Amino acid sequence: MSEKPEKLIDKKGLRLDGRKIDELRPVKIEVGVLSNADGSAYIEHGKNKILAAVFGPREMHPKHLSLPDRMVLRCRYHMAPFSVQERKSPAPSRREVELSKVIREALEPAVFVEYYPRSGIDIFVEVLQADGGTRCASITAAALAIADAGIPMRDLVVACAAGKIDDKVVLDLMDTEDKVGVADVPVAFMPNLNAVTLLQMDGILTPDEFESAVNLAIEGCKKIYALQKEALKTKYMNTKEEVEE
Amino acid sequence: MSEQKSGNIVLPGERLGVIEEFLPDSGTYVKDGIIYSKIVGHALMDLLHKRVSVYPLINGAVVPKVTSTVVGQVGNAQSDNVLVRIFKIGSKKLSGVFTGILHISDVQERYVDSMNDVCKPGDIIRAKVISEKNQIYHLSTNDKNLGVVYAFCSRCGNLLEPKRYEMICTKCGNIEKRKTPVDYGHEEI
Repeated sequence: MSEKPEKLIDKKGLRLDGRKIDELRPVKIEVGVLSNADGSAYIEHGKNKILAAVFGPREMHPKHLSLPDRMVLRCRYHMAPFSVQERKSPAPSRREVELSKVIREALEPAVFVEYYPRSGIDIFVEVLQADGGTRCASITAAALAIADAGIPMRDLVVACAAGKIDDKVVLDLMDTEDKVGVADVPVAFMPNLNAVTLLQMDGILTPDEFESAVNLAIEGCKKIYALQKEALKTKYMNTKEEVEE
Repeated sequence: MSEQKSGNIVLPGERLGVIEEFLPDSGTYVKDGIIYSKIVGHALMDLLHKRVSVYPLINGAVVPKVTSTVVGQVGNAQSDNVLVRIFKIGSKKLSGVFTGILHISDVQERYVDSMNDVCKPGDIIRAKVISEKNQIYHLSTNDKNLGVVYAFCSRCGNLLEPKRYEMICTKCGNIEKRKTPVDYGHEEI
C-alpha cells in the first residue's frame, strides 16, 4: 500500500481518515442475507466487509466430536484471497486458525449450549474485504447470525477495538493505525449482562492506558450494539409487513 | 409497571422484568433475579397470571422431539431395524441431518416378517419420534399417515407406484412390498 505515514493524528486531533480519536467508523449491518444458511448476517465496518453464516443445531459430523452434555460450536474464520492488497493464499493460515478459536470462545458464553446435547452448530465467517479490526466485526456479525438462526442466547455479543497511536488512546483502529500504531486492544462484550467475553492486547500499554483503552472499547461496543439491535429488529419488521401484504 | 409492553419485539438478552414481578415462562431465562429474553420474538406480559414469555418470531433451532413428525431417507438397513437420516422435522427443513432408528416392532401393530417388506435403502420415509433418550431418536410408522412416501425400485431405481397391496415399477415391472401411508407420493422435499 502507500508509504508509512509519519503522523497518525494531525494538529487538529483528527486521524488519517478524518475521524476524531473516540469516533467509530461507519457501521452497516444486515441480517438474514443468505437463504441456504439457518442464520446469517453481513457487516460493513468501515472498509471491512464480512459475511457470517450459521448452520444448525444439527448432528455433528464426524459424530465422535459431539459431547454428551452440550452442543459443540465450531467456527471457521476465513479471509477471501481478494480481501487484502496482496493476494492471500486461500488456505487457512495460522492467524485464521487462531481467530477461529478466539471468535468461537467469544461467542460460546452467550449461547445456551446445554439445550442441545450431542449436536453442533457451525459458524462460518468469510472476510470479503479487510481493513483492520476484522475479528471484532466478525464477532458482531456472527452473534447476529446465531440469533437469526433462532438459537437461544443469553445476550448478543458485540465487539470493538481500541488502541494507542501517537501516544493517544483511540477507538476502532483501522489497518494502517493497527500496523503503525503502538497497541491494539480488541474487546468483545455482552451489553445487557455487562460481561466481557474477549479481551486481547497486542503491543505495549501502561496499566492506566490499558484501562482507558478497555473502557473506550466498551463504549464503542455499546454504540455498535444499538446498530446491531436495530438491524435484527428491522429484519423482523420487514417480514411482518410481508405477511400482512 | 412492567418494563416491556406486550407485543414488543425483544432480542436475546433484553430485560423483561424481575422474578418478584413475573413468573418466567418459555423464551426467557433468569439470571440474578432478573428475567431476560433468550430468543427473538414478541414479549407477552400476562398481567393476570403474572407470567412473562417470549413468542418466537423465528422457527429455528428445531431438533427432533417425542411426538414430532419427521421425514428422512432410509440409510443402512438390517433385517430388524433401519437407520433414517432425518432431514425434515414438522415443516422445517434442516441444514444437516439427525439420525433416527426404526425398529421392526414399531413399524405397525401387526406382525411384520422382515424389514425388507417395510422399506429399502434410499426410500423417503415419514415417521413419528417415540423416544429421544440420549439423543437417540426412535421412530415409529404405526399410523395410516406414516410410512414410505417415496419408494424406489431396488432393481432399476425408478419411482415405484402403489398397486393393490404391493408396489410396482412401471419401468421394469418389478414388484416389491412397502409400508406406505394413505398419501403415498405426497410429501414435499
